[in-house]
Amino acid sequence: MNSQDAILPIAIPLAGAGVAMLLRGWPKAQRLWTFGILMASLAMCVNLLNHVFSSSKPLVFQLGGWAAPFGISIVVDALSAIMIVMVQFVMLMGCIYALDAKDIAKRYSVFMPLFLTLTVGLTGAMLTGDTFNLFVFMELIVISAAALTAMSDDRSGTEAAYKYFYISQLATIFLLLANGLIYMSYGTLNMADLAIRIKTDALAGGPMPPMFTLAMVCFFATFMIKCAAFPFHFWQPDFHAAAPTAVSAMLSSVVVKSGVYGFIRMTTLLFEPFAPQLQQVLMLIGAIGVIYGGFSAFGTHHAKRMFAYSTLAQIGFMLMGIGWGGTLGIAAAIVFMVNHALIKSAMLMLSGYLASKAQIKSASFENIKGLGKYLPQSGVLFFVGSMALAGLPPLNGFVSKMMVFRAGIEAEQWAWLAAIGLASLLTLIYTMRAFQWVWFVPPAAGVKAKKDGDSLFAPTVLILACVVLGIWGESLVSVAIQASEWVQQPAAYIAAVHPAK
Amino acid sequence: MASMDKHRYLGWASAAIPAGLFAWFAAQLPAIAAGAKLSYTFNWLPTLGLQTGFSLDGLSLLFALLITGIGSLVLIYAGYYFTPHNATEPATRPFSEARFFAYILLFMVCMLGVVTASDVITLFIFWEGTSIVSFLLVAYKYKDAEARRGATKALIITGGGGVALLAGLLMLANVAGSTQFSAIFAQAALVKASPLYPVMLGLVALGAFTKSAQFPAHHWLPNAMSAPTPASAYLHSATMVKAGIYLMARLFPALGGSELWFGLLVSAGFITMILGAVKGLFQQDLKAVLAYSTISQLGVLMMLIGWGSSTAMKALAVGTIAHALYKGAMFLMAGIVDHSAHTRDLGALRTLGLRKYMPLTFAATILPALSMAGLPPLLGFLGKETLLAAIEEAHGGLIVVVFGAILAGAFTLAQAAMLLFDTFSHASHPKSHPSEAANHAHAAKYSDPPFGFLLGPALLGVLSLVLAFDWLLEAGPITTLVGSAAKAAYGDKVKVDLALFQGFNLPLLMSAMAIAIGLGIAQYRHRLRTKFGSLWLLQPVRMDALYHGFMRSLEFTAKQATGLQNGSIRTYLSLMFIGFGALTLWFGAWRWPAIANPFLIEAQPLQALRIFSLLLVVAAALASVLARRDLTAIIALGASGLGVALVIALEPSPDVALVQIIVDILTTVILVMAMDRLPVKMRDAAYKIERQEHILTRLRHLTIAGGAGLFMFMVCLNALSGRPRNSIVTPFYEQQSKPFTGAADIVGAIVVDFRGFDTMIEITVFGVAGAAIYSLLRYATQKHGDDLENADNITQIADRPAVPNLEILGRATSTRGIGGRVPSALVQLAAQAILPISIIVAFVHMLYGHDQPGDGFTAGVIVAIAVGLMVLAYGQIDTFKRLRWLRPGYLIGSGWLVVMLGSLSPILWGQVFFSPFDFSVATGLDRFLPVGASISTSFLFEIAICLTVIGSASWMLQTFAREPAKITD
Repeated sequence: MNSQDAILPIAIPLAGAGVAMLLRGWPKAQRLWTFGILMASLAMCVNLLNHVFSSSKPLVFQLGGWAAPFGISIVVDALSAIMIVMVQFVMLMGCIYALDAKDIAKRYSVFMPLFLTLTVGLTGAMLTGDTFNLFVFMELIVISAAALTAMSDDRSGTEAAYKYFYISQLATIFLLLANGLIYMSYGTLNMADLAIRIKTDALAGGPMPPMFTLAMVCFFATFMIKCAAFPFHFWQPDFHAAAPTAVSAMLSSVVVKSGVYGFIRMTTLLFEPFAPQLQQVLMLIGAIGVIYGGFSAFGTHHAKRMFAYSTLAQIGFMLMGIGWGGTLGIAAAIVFMVNHALIKSAMLMLSGYLASKAQIKSASFENIKGLGKYLPQSGVLFFVGSMALAGLPPLNGFVSKMMVFRAGIEAEQWAWLAAIGLASLLTLIYTMRAFQWVWFVPPAAGVKAKKDGDSLFAPTVLILACVVLGIWGESLVSVAIQASEWVQQPAAYIAAVHPAK
Repeated sequence: MASMDKHRYLGWASAAIPAGLFAWFAAQLPAIAAGAKLSYTFNWLPTLGLQTGFSLDGLSLLFALLITGIGSLVLIYAGYYFTPHNATEPATRPFSEARFFAYILLFMVCMLGVVTASDVITLFIFWEGTSIVSFLLVAYKYKDAEARRGATKALIITGGGGVALLAGLLMLANVAGSTQFSAIFAQAALVKASPLYPVMLGLVALGAFTKSAQFPAHHWLPNAMSAPTPASAYLHSATMVKAGIYLMARLFPALGGSELWFGLLVSAGFITMILGAVKGLFQQDLKAVLAYSTISQLGVLMMLIGWGSSTAMKALAVGTIAHALYKGAMFLMAGIVDHSAHTRDLGALRTLGLRKYMPLTFAATILPALSMAGLPPLLGFLGKETLLAAIEEAHGGLIVVVFGAILAGAFTLAQAAMLLFDTFSHASHPKSHPSEAANHAHAAKYSDPPFGFLLGPALLGVLSLVLAFDWLLEAGPITTLVGSAAKAAYGDKVKVDLALFQGFNLPLLMSAMAIAIGLGIAQYRHRLRTKFGSLWLLQPVRMDALYHGFMRSLEFTAKQATGLQNGSIRTYLSLMFIGFGALTLWFGAWRWPAIANPFLIEAQPLQALRIFSLLLVVAAALASVLARRDLTAIIALGASGLGVALVIALEPSPDVALVQIIVDILTTVILVMAMDRLPVKMRDAAYKIERQEHILTRLRHLTIAGGAGLFMFMVCLNALSGRPRNSIVTPFYEQQSKPFTGAADIVGAIVVDFRGFDTMIEITVFGVAGAAIYSLLRYATQKHGDDLENADNITQIADRPAVPNLEILGRATSTRGIGGRVPSALVQLAAQAILPISIIVAFVHMLYGHDQPGDGFTAGVIVAIAVGLMVLAYGQIDTFKRLRWLRPGYLIGSGWLVVMLGSLSPILWGQVFFSPFDFSVATGLDRFLPVGASISTSFLFEIAICLTVIGSASWMLQTFAREPAKITD
């Protein structure tokens, strides 16, 4: 495989976005085109994943042929490959959902192009090997997602977008600052190059450059905002209640993963010598997240908000996996990321589906209580999805939960284990309570489902994927374990990007 | 009777599956007893070292036989249960209850999985499955709030136990180094010596106790009685609740035998036994009595496992069989009564005297009731005998436990008597004797059920009798089964002799005591019930205080948690700043800069101008914060930006300074336009609100803002004093830019060549920003009351604003400038003239951008500013009518495509994506070009940037300059 192919998962949707912009006058063609582009791009991602694992070394493309660290490197290693397949699969599902959704927002002429640029941003953030390039992709994610939200049918969509944009701008500032400080300290922005230099410095035992620690803190804060960890999570719940379903499903499932991905890169590559310090904080933040998120999800009375808070808790699980570290810990985080992406997008789509079927378009439980009487199929999906979210066998959520537990036991982190134990119980409680409210409680007089509503196709596929990844968990677990082994050995990554060193 | 009802066929048909399995399991008995072990393993998650699979030994077989055997009877029974009792009742739809049969079969699969699992993970997977199916079955009549509540409670308690169990099992596997039971047993010594032993035992026990309704987690079971009776009989008596018993018996060889094990299991089992036995007597509901009696029996079994002697394991096996048989039968009987009499209230049933109308049912109940009472010659008697023999033997026959067991036996006997007589016999009170007429009515209403309905309870009752004579046979099936099950649980051979009469020994004496006391209690049960029934302790549990308290505290905590999310972005940002501050301090990232750095005071050329520019930046920024009028603030901000440009220009970095200047101008123009859309009153109000804030609030804001400012101050000073840095990449860029990219200007080379990819994404961001502002202001904020159904039409006309369709949006076309004012003709003329000039300037910028300051971005912004002037002069509608080529969406899209094509095309010449490449040299066109110009990838890039920037900026201008929709202020 040509090393240039590494750029295709970015280039295809980007070119696609350009064409989609030109197709603004032909909405049908535009939608079909977007769908086709995402399919093609996903196929490319799968191809890359396959290639990376079969050749067992990272595929690196130096843009413009400039050797690292002078140009920008695109690096597809096992972790990135898994991430981009996850991102693009979920984005494709989001696109399918949007195609058949009754949202007015999706009929705006720029909806589909922005959906593509969001894909570009996410994919790029996970493929790039350059910290400034990461910043640029993060910006693209933020602006695309904020715009997509602002278009929402919901009255408070604009406000939600405003909040998201504002808070993400804070992350942008932190990331820019981090870039400046790290460049000031080491004069390079290439991650592999930085990793070598930081390690050399740390091993020498001398003082680190004066602004180095602050750069690390800025990166840390950026990723915390990205993955919506406490206390940087505030954009999430307000956002999800208002964003168009297809968009909120993407944000809660894959956009937050860019932060988690960032933490993995921070602890295993960029700031590897300082990993113990970082992991300590990650564990703490993770624990606060699982507890706080679990309780908040229990306390809210809006399906989409509930799942937003639930994301906060689930991200906590991943952060703890990274915090515990080791092959099993990181692998647990990776498996958790992928499984959560599938489950959470499906659940948010189902909530959106319910809202679209209700007389008033809102996923507030008051509004959708009892609606399930008319929508039995979605009840089955929701029930299975809830089981997956709560980590019950035989679904994929169980595999992730079990891996996190095992990682915690191996790392002998008893107090944190108690926290995630409580959180899993809370998940079970609030999802099943929601299920009962919608499907078991008899509808109040006058509550009836609308004839037309969103399509169940995309969530069905996602839930099926959850079932498949639960029963055939080995497929994901084995690649995750390998990916985890790879990231534990940053030398291979560095050598691939930077053969001179 | 609805003969057309399909449920009976469904019952019989689905019963074939478990019946077949039962036969298969039964056929394995001889081999298993001989010591063979059937197993099947498969690699579920080999990467994690998880060998999952199933294996069948004596203990598994015992439970498997109960599950399949009782399962088939329950399925047959359920077919009748879901058929209306008689023609007067509404007929059910065919197969309307098929869901139930599916659940039961699913449950059976899960339960069989639990008892045949050969490793902890497989066991856990099916364990959780039983919890979920149980939830579905308890909530089967989900329209009933009581059923939903019971289901939730059961799920929360067993689910919580499940989490603990998973942790405990994984710990166990971690210590033993394997998830396989056989390997774990081999490491029993290691496990017991591990410092984690108490923790893992506690967690596993928590899982087992919640599942098997041990004190204090027992209270979900009575609430779970809202399930249809066949499910109660099957899940909540005969099988599922025994999963915890099975688990502890299964893990006895690994975890058992310690002091802790004994103390934990015996005390929990003991309390549960007494509690269930006593409370059961005071229940009104037939099923509640049965539920408490089940709880009591589960306590007995748990206690036996805790006891841990070989005789205890024997008693465990016998007790499990005996209880499953009689309690299953009693539950099924309760269902029949309920089905016929439509009540389960003992008080109500006593007024009916059902014995007269349902003699067969009564007869079928006698045997299981006797077995439950522990009377010879039934299995229940054997169970009690072996129990008493076990507890008086080992551990010095703890006197409390012995008396407790006798007492529990007595109460169970009384319960059995109550169930038998109060359900079927008539109250002896003469006044309540029904009249003849009532008798007739009753006879028509209550009658014995059809054969199939009675089959289950009757067969189970008969088995309770027949199997008790197993000892007459040489190596009878029950003896064999009990022997091999006890052996599997105990881990060593267990001597089994199940003769009903073992001579006059202590157990027999105790048994007799229990029977005597029991008969006494039974005799005075009504008096006891009326006397003590009102005691709080004996009340039927609806929502147990513990559980209720748990849910309350959950809700309270949840409310606190969500309270933080108050919707105010100010709160959010404040908390985030505080969080960031905490992170900075935690990592010790704060560095006091060296203020006295020579760089800051060292004399440099143009020092005065430098100081002036810095002062300008600071003063203007301060003014923008303090200004009373927002327009002043915007202009001050613009001035501050120009100050920054001056600083940059003095660096000297003319390229960046140029960009800064024009961006600053464009931003100011757009901001002013945006501000113009807000009604003055609204802006004033916002300003006033801010001034009226409480002093503490303002102080808080001041602290946070000041902290952020101080932070940036520290960073900047550090950055300055840290210089000169030695960049790794700059020397390379200096050397390489001219020869490889043809650019004399490093900044230009970095922007379009070395780091051109960044720029590519940045222009995407810029384009998206334009699209975002456009769609936001055009549609999103005006969606309420707009003609949304025609959103598509609006979309299509958006690029052709002059089309009269705009009337849809309720805006008149006009040739007025911004704010409805008509600008002077001179300005209009100037605008007309400046636009073409700006385009020429822009083109030159692009052509020579590589060597000279300026680039595509500058070019784009210059044109955009000229367009802005046009908009000011003519208003947006006229402007875009005049400039037909100015179609933002297309400009952005084509910009993106040009950059993509430009960076892809070097591939045609064997280069890679984004290589710098000069097409004019490659194609020989360079001869025709002016000096210094070339058609290269960078030139295409500049064009693309320019197109995107013009598109995006003019989109913003177009959007902002639109006359705002009427906002009433």
